[in-house]
Amino acid sequence: MGKYLLRRILQMIPVVLGTTLLVYALVFALPGDPVKAMFGDKPVNEAVAAQIRAEYNLDKPFIIQYLLFLKNALTLDFGNTFAGQPVIDEIGRAFPVTIKLALMAFAFEAIFGVVFGVISGLKKGKWYDSVILIVSLLLISVPTFVTGFLGQYFLGVQWSILPVTAGADPGFIDLLMPAMVLGSVSMAYIIRLTRSEVSSNIALDYVRTARAKGLSNRSVIMRHILRNSLIPVVTYLGQDLGALMGGAMISETIFNIHGIGFLTYQSILKGEATLVVSIVTLLMLIFVVCNLIVDMLYAALDPRIRYA
Amino acid sequence: MTENTTHASHHIDLAAMQREHGPILEVKNLQVDFTTDDKRAVHAVRDASFTVYPGQWVAIVGESGSGKSTSAMAVLGLLPGTGHVVGGSIKLDGQEVSSMMPKQFESLRGSKMGLVPQDPMSNLNPVWRIGTQVKEALKANNIDIAHEKRSDLAKALAGEDIELKGNDDELFLGSDQLQGLLATATSELESLGLSGDALESKLQFFRQEWVPGSETRWHIAEDLIKAGVNDDRAWEIAKTYAKGSSMSDRIAGLLNEAGLPDAATRARQYPHEFSGGMRQRALIAIGLACRPDLLIADEPTSALDVTVQKKILDHLQSLTDSLGTSVLFITHDLGLAAERAQHIVVMYKGQVVESGPSLEVLQHPQHPYTKRLVAAAPSLASQRIISAHERGLDTRQLMEHAVKDEDTLEHGEHIITVDHLTREFKLPRRKEMFKAVDDVSFSLKRGTTLAIVGESGSGKSTVANMVLHLLAPTAGKVFYEGADTSTFSKAQLLDFRRHVQPVFQNPYGSLDPMYSIYRSIEEPLRIHKIGNTKSRIKRVKELLDMVELPESVMGRYPNELSGGQRQRIAIARAMALEPDVIVCDEAVSALDVLVQDQVLRLLNDLQAERGLSYLFITHDLAVVRQIADEVVVMQHGKLVEHATTDEVFNHPKMQYTRDLLDAIPGGKLQLGLDM
Amino acid sequence: MTQEELMHKSEEVLPGQQRYVAPIEQTPLQSVDSVNESAPATSMWADAWRTLRHNPMFIVSAILILILLVVAIFPGLFTHQDPNYCTLDTSLDPPSAGHPFGFDMQGCDMYSRVIYGARTSMSVGILATLLVVLIGTIIGATAGFFGGWVDAVLSRINDIFFALPILLGAIVVLQMFKTSGSIWKIVLVMALFGWVSTARIARGAVLSAKNLEFNTASTALGSTPMRNLLRHILPNSLAPIIVIGTTSLGTYIVLEATLSFLGVGLPTSTVSWGGDIAKAQDLLRTDPMVLFYPSVALAITVLAFIMMGDAVKDALDPKSRTA
Repeated sequence: MGKYLLRRILQMIPVVLGTTLLVYALVFALPGDPVKAMFGDKPVNEAVAAQIRAEYNLDKPFIIQYLLFLKNALTLDFGNTFAGQPVIDEIGRAFPVTIKLALMAFAFEAIFGVVFGVISGLKKGKWYDSVILIVSLLLISVPTFVTGFLGQYFLGVQWSILPVTAGADPGFIDLLMPAMVLGSVSMAYIIRLTRSEVSSNIALDYVRTARAKGLSNRSVIMRHILRNSLIPVVTYLGQDLGALMGGAMISETIFNIHGIGFLTYQSILKGEATLVVSIVTLLMLIFVVCNLIVDMLYAALDPRIRYA
Repeated sequence: MTENTTHASHHIDLAAMQREHGPILEVKNLQVDFTTDDKRAVHAVRDASFTVYPGQWVAIVGESGSGKSTSAMAVLGLLPGTGHVVGGSIKLDGQEVSSMMPKQFESLRGSKMGLVPQDPMSNLNPVWRIGTQVKEALKANNIDIAHEKRSDLAKALAGEDIELKGNDDELFLGSDQLQGLLATATSELESLGLSGDALESKLQFFRQEWVPGSETRWHIAEDLIKAGVNDDRAWEIAKTYAKGSSMSDRIAGLLNEAGLPDAATRARQYPHEFSGGMRQRALIAIGLACRPDLLIADEPTSALDVTVQKKILDHLQSLTDSLGTSVLFITHDLGLAAERAQHIVVMYKGQVVESGPSLEVLQHPQHPYTKRLVAAAPSLASQRIISAHERGLDTRQLMEHAVKDEDTLEHGEHIITVDHLTREFKLPRRKEMFKAVDDVSFSLKRGTTLAIVGESGSGKSTVANMVLHLLAPTAGKVFYEGADTSTFSKAQLLDFRRHVQPVFQNPYGSLDPMYSIYRSIEEPLRIHKIGNTKSRIKRVKELLDMVELPESVMGRYPNELSGGQRQRIAIARAMALEPDVIVCDEAVSALDVLVQDQVLRLLNDLQAERGLSYLFITHDLAVVRQIADEVVVMQHGKLVEHATTDEVFNHPKMQYTRDLLDAIPGGKLQLGLDM
Repeated sequence: MTQEELMHKSEEVLPGQQRYVAPIEQTPLQSVDSVNESAPATSMWADAWRTLRHNPMFIVSAILILILLVVAIFPGLFTHQDPNYCTLDTSLDPPSAGHPFGFDMQGCDMYSRVIYGARTSMSVGILATLLVVLIGTIIGATAGFFGGWVDAVLSRINDIFFALPILLGAIVVLQMFKTSGSIWKIVLVMALFGWVSTARIARGAVLSAKNLEFNTASTALGSTPMRNLLRHILPNSLAPIIVIGTTSLGTYIVLEATLSFLGVGLPTSTVSWGGDIAKAQDLLRTDPMVLFYPSVALAITVLAFIMMGDAVKDALDPKSRTA
């Protein structure tokens, strides 16, 4: 197991380097001047621009810039924002909110996705299977921001069950609707994935053999159908957790939650290049680590690929 | 003859007992329907009746789609998909089961009837340890693991040999007690004056025999008594040490009983760490774990190598005999059925066409379908040849293939010569290379058939691919008409391809599903730029006619044809360029007996008409007898034996060849065929 | 065997196991392995088409997509209003004759904006999908067919792009090119980050098609590897690529709307549902209908393509095809 883990970590290094380089190149090397972007449409004072370029190493060759960035990033020194705040502090403020939101969304999609998916898969063709299927299709088709508005309008404005927006220091209740909106699309995908896994596993030979052993229907479902169906679902969930940690841009914007997604979006709009690169680098690491956990989980769940 | 009489008397005893007990399974006028998507009913089984008595093996024989597996699954209440029993009755030990609720079926499965399924690769759940999967069976049926559950029949039979002294005598030996038991047994034997080799051989026997979880108190006592220990002392020892086993001992015991060595370790492994044969043994252990009265064995060995097949069936037979389990044996092989079962039921298109005592059905088939099956079964065909031989008859007329005489074989011109061929493969995470083919030499003479026989992993297909120039040898050479194929230029290689054509094993894989039959057969003509559209259409029609398929299939696609038809298309494609040599890589292995027979006849006719030479790769020695002039036997990449077919069948030189011959089902049948 | 012996034998036979031979007229013998010439010949595509035609989900989505296509190509057929003609006089006016959906904040006719929005969504979705499928298939097929170091390099590049969420990447790049107004900008950006999943699927499909026996058979007939790739491997890899293409069309429409919603997508001069939703979001409490119309139009369009993707998948998925 240790050897496998080590190999996976070694395999991750070029991917992490490559992705940070890609983002760095997108932000700093594309035609388009990051310094100009900083000032938006306002005219730029050349002297100030030169100073800023020097501060962010923009006057040096691209690859040197990148290496300097990497060097600093290793010591968690991501530089300062335009306002003079250390980038790492900004991130440190936003991150706990996002983690809270992501975990809530994760719990929501995992629980409801698997439960509905299993019900649907076991009873394919029943009326509630069709209802679950149609609802999941709708959730996939309706963009997150539309789902968000619908939630705000009905749950918030019309029925006043939940707060419409979350605000600066949100609690559990404030995050409930954002988490459901954030998790809704993934939940729909999990329902579909679980359903198709369960319904195809039902017909497998070893399930029949299990029945022939005299196992009760309950045991057959729990030990043979579900246990095997959940392997790809767990993989999906793991990868989604990585995405949730960073991908809440839309939900956080709609619900005015000051998390990582909100921060990323704001910094992109303001042209805070350093902040963007730093956040993306961090997100990448989280994503890759989540993938690694998924791999480990996969190995733990499926003996066939252990130590492979 | 004496042996026969004792056997007969025993048989009569058994028959009386069976008559008294009544059938364990009685299926009457069973009808099973499947519902299609558009709500039509397809009658999979129509009016089928058969009866199984305690301790019997009853075989249902038929082709794929004959309804044999469906009938068996109906008995288990495990019909797939939309299948359901629409008529007739199924009585298990006198109890009607066909109308049972799923919950009631659960209580019968495992304890009353067990299943050994067909494909060992897909029938074990990959995520659970083997031991866990055995344990499930025991737990689901609330089996008291300390005691052996024995059928009435087995008890009665055991009564002849040994007197049971109460229920306690069937306590299993536990692994904790094994060492102590062996030590006591040793000192006991020493006190009897045994020493040296005699002592060692006895102890060796004990070590092999006394497996925790499968050895009971009375067995141990019996072993000791046979070794010379006096009765009371033997029982005293057995009672001291055999005090009931733990669950894991019992699991190991069951696996050991099914023929898995080192079972305690094996139980902790996962299915993917097992070979096909080992998995099948694990499935047998599961099927028999709760000592069912009836075991349904659905083609239990057809996915395995022939020698493994025989070993596993031998083992299953001795196991079910000692347990008194009845077996409903589903198979497509008539020879195998007759060899293993006392009673045969032949099914065709969902109906029972003939049934009766095995030998009688085989010797005097009445129904035209049975006659057809008997005539086509390769295992029986080679039996016929042997028995004709023994009666001093001319065997040639019995063979579909006119075997060349020794003289032609000796002086024939070599069309393909394989010279010290070796092929190595790199295995993942291994330093040393794996030799798939190791120094193999032989040559194929013009107009003859050379068969390469071997089990999976013997390297026979690798040889075929090297002959076809699809795989480069690590060492050694392939000569075509005296020319070294490795030195061929592009143009020469294209010319070589024109003359040496393949027909592959998998009739579902070797035709592109996107190509119509016309395009498939036309492809070689197109590649070699032969003729124009008009002449190609004409040629394709000719070729279809040659393989006895109607012209109308030209517009069809492979998925609409059966396996045998696809294989005939593959032959037509191979024949399109009028080759000299056809390499058939397991070309008939995946086909039903009758279809296989049809394709073999076709190959024979083509050879007779066109003087083709065949390199015939197969795992099935029975088929070889019908088609080959010469045989090369391969094992672990090495050439084991090379001789004419008669020589190999009549005077096999190597033990491995003899094992292969032994494994041909029906080999020991006294046929006296009169057809 | 004499009659007497037979009699003796049958006495031994247990009840229910007597010799039985079915009457031949009830069990007629058919010729071995005959071809069913009555059924019509069907290729894999014809088969898939037949499955599709009987799938209600396909029929519904096909009708929807057809209507959407007509709306996108000939918006003039459905409205005579100019979607960009807006006067503050009519700001947030309720529906009236000729203006069934009323007016938005800027006083533009909602109905004509919803109609013209279809063109943007459909063209971005279709163009992005075509480009993604093209790039993804070429890269994936190259990696799968050649294997070795080519595969290693391409797969690592794929991993790198896979780790970057498409929305994030798109926003970063689009922010740089805020000034350009053409829809090609957004299409190219989607292709830049979207090819990854198609390439993975194409690679897998080519790898599995490459190992099928008919390739070996063709090689033995004299075919070259390149010919195999073009004539056998690619045609046999198309199904999964078509499936992912159809399904992702909906995703790209959502992505365009999302980007426009976030203000980094199409310029405000282009009529886009996403942009209209963004503009209307502050009206949630007061005039939810302004938010409602473009949202519903967007949802229906995406739903149509996702349903189509599902139907196509059911028809082409090799798992559901038993032959």
